[in-house]
Amino acid sequence: MKKRFFVAFLLFCFSIPPAFSKEDEAVIGLVAPLTGDQAYIGVGVMQGAQMAVEDANIRGPVFGLTRLKFEPLDDQHNPTQAVLVANKLIANPDALGVVGHFNSSCTKASSAIYHEGRLAQVTPASTNPEISHQGFDTFFRVCPTDDVQAPAAASFAKNDLGASRVVVLDDQTTYGRGLADQFEKRFKALGGEVLRHDSLTQGEKDFMPLLTKIKSVDPELVFFGGIYPEMALLLKQSKKVGLGARWMGGDGIYEAALTQLAGPEAAEGVHATMLGVDPHSVPEAKDFVTRYEARYGEIGSFSAYGYDAASVLIEAVRRAGRKDREAVIAELKKMKDFPGILGPINFDEKGDAVGKSVGIFKIEGGKFKFLKEVKPEPAQ
Amino acid sequence: MSPDLQLFFQQLLNGLTIGMVYALIALGYTMVYGVLQLINFAHGEVFMVGGYLALTAVALTVSMGLGLPAWVLVLFVFLFAMAGASLLGAGIERLAYRPLRGSPRLTALISAIGMSFVLQNAVMLLYGTKEQVMPDILPHWQADLAGVTVSLVQVLIFVSSVLLMVLLELFVKKTRTGKAMRATAENPEAASLMGISVHGVIRSTFVLGSALAAMGGTLFAMNYGSVNFHDGYLAGIKAFTAAVFGGIGSIPGAMLGGILLGVFEGFCAGYISSEWKDVFAFGLLVTLLLFRPSGILGENVPEKV
Repeated sequence: MKKRFFVAFLLFCFSIPPAFSKEDEAVIGLVAPLTGDQAYIGVGVMQGAQMAVEDANIRGPVFGLTRLKFEPLDDQHNPTQAVLVANKLIANPDALGVVGHFNSSCTKASSAIYHEGRLAQVTPASTNPEISHQGFDTFFRVCPTDDVQAPAAASFAKNDLGASRVVVLDDQTTYGRGLADQFEKRFKALGGEVLRHDSLTQGEKDFMPLLTKIKSVDPELVFFGGIYPEMALLLKQSKKVGLGARWMGGDGIYEAALTQLAGPEAAEGVHATMLGVDPHSVPEAKDFVTRYEARYGEIGSFSAYGYDAASVLIEAVRRAGRKDREAVIAELKKMKDFPGILGPINFDEKGDAVGKSVGIFKIEGGKFKFLKEVKPEPAQ
Repeated sequence: MSPDLQLFFQQLLNGLTIGMVYALIALGYTMVYGVLQLINFAHGEVFMVGGYLALTAVALTVSMGLGLPAWVLVLFVFLFAMAGASLLGAGIERLAYRPLRGSPRLTALISAIGMSFVLQNAVMLLYGTKEQVMPDILPHWQADLAGVTVSLVQVLIFVSSVLLMVLLELFVKKTRTGKAMRATAENPEAASLMGISVHGVIRSTFVLGSALAAMGGTLFAMNYGSVNFHDGYLAGIKAFTAAVFGGIGSIPGAMLGGILLGVFEGFCAGYISSEWKDVFAFGLLVTLLLFRPSGILGENVPEKV
């Protein structure tokens, strides 16, 4: 008897609720870490995408009588969860596209599912270059890749900051390791010396042994491929061990909360590369930023990318003019100079955004100050 | 001192710092296991709540505008966090474990895991998903002992942890409640026949364990300057490892296990690879259990989990 209940329970757990198609509804999914320790960034992306869907619905039905429905889902920055959520979305007959995921590890894991389910995927912020090398025609991204970001950071560290001996750190994620590896490769190619390449574990708090070890090799600069909570701890603890090196990181550390967490003293002078420029400085994004900040408070670092990713996807749905996933993919492929708020959006044959530059920032007086823009190098 | 020796002592100090915190949490695991043969998986969350309580205590004094001297503030934060967590510990015991007394052990274990999720999500809803900043309440003071830097927070961690462990040892050995605890751990039925209120003993075990975990949480928050509702997970697992390592059910074992685990981890991260430090830590546990299944100081008790 007990066994039968158990089997019934299992069946209940794994059953997918029957899907009924709603004639007048097209679903735009959004997947990002909405709970867990990166929820703060993920929710920012979600709010940006949500505003794009609402803006589109204010303009009227997207085609015929069909209106858009926004469906936010949570992958907890966990690739396993990302795959589950992706399966849920492709099983929904009304789903026409998904904005996401946020973390490269999740985007990579889910991209095969969307490809199989023929669902268009537009990631707002996953920068790992390998994701688009898998040959999935359902994959698109509106941000630059680490092929642009990492060399920009390496050449800035070498040529502008004059550092020749560095330590590279990563957080063992697809994003962090990819960025750190690319940085290392380019930095060596520029004639610099990489003294060590160490990894840490996301969610850890005690980096004192690692930093003590780094101090003993005395680098001029430490580059971290990872996300801001770990960066804040690294900065704070590096002050404690008396490590005098400069610090640099990628878009994952570009977050206003970094200064608060690390303390203004430890965060001062940190350099970061960021996708594109600060949305506050872009005239086209002004309206969005004002509306966002009136509604949710300070804009998240990736909220504007969430808005852009959702907007270009919605435009493709509108042009497709019917509930047809293949048509949406085809329209995204054909997209030319879509007026995103962070500049025109064009995709190359791999689905990567064309011509997206990265900005180099430095923390001065507790805030990220824009230093310079680095245009992508022409493709090899 | 030669640079190599300096590095060695600095790494030892780093390991001891985190080891002390592991030990404080591990005590709660081991004490509860002692009286109930239950692995209280919600214990890591009590540690995390301790950090948040410390944060709340600091925010309270700031909002009241009391310009307290640093040591009074630290004392207040400790007491606030320990008192709050004690209440929480007693509440968890009453809500999640007492109704299940007498039911299979697996039921209580699942209830513990459920409690852990409840606490994590409750804190997330109350405080938000963002990392919270724990303000520095101690002056930035660092001593240089022949090239090895010691911070004031580290000194505080050592002094308060050792003090608490000595007090706990005295409490368990000398007081009536402590004796009742040991009696219950040995044989709950016989203890209750001797007129010991087993429920009362279990409650005080949870109260004590939670207070120690909260102390760990407060010191952890002060040392790293931030708290997150996820902190309890990893720290809880590590402390659980430390408790098993030292011999689950044994109080000196938990202290020793925590300190050794912290130092071992610190050396692995500092000399071999920080990437593999958890692998080394858990690998050490597996190896030890192969040769000494009851841990370093553990006694052979019938397997009950």
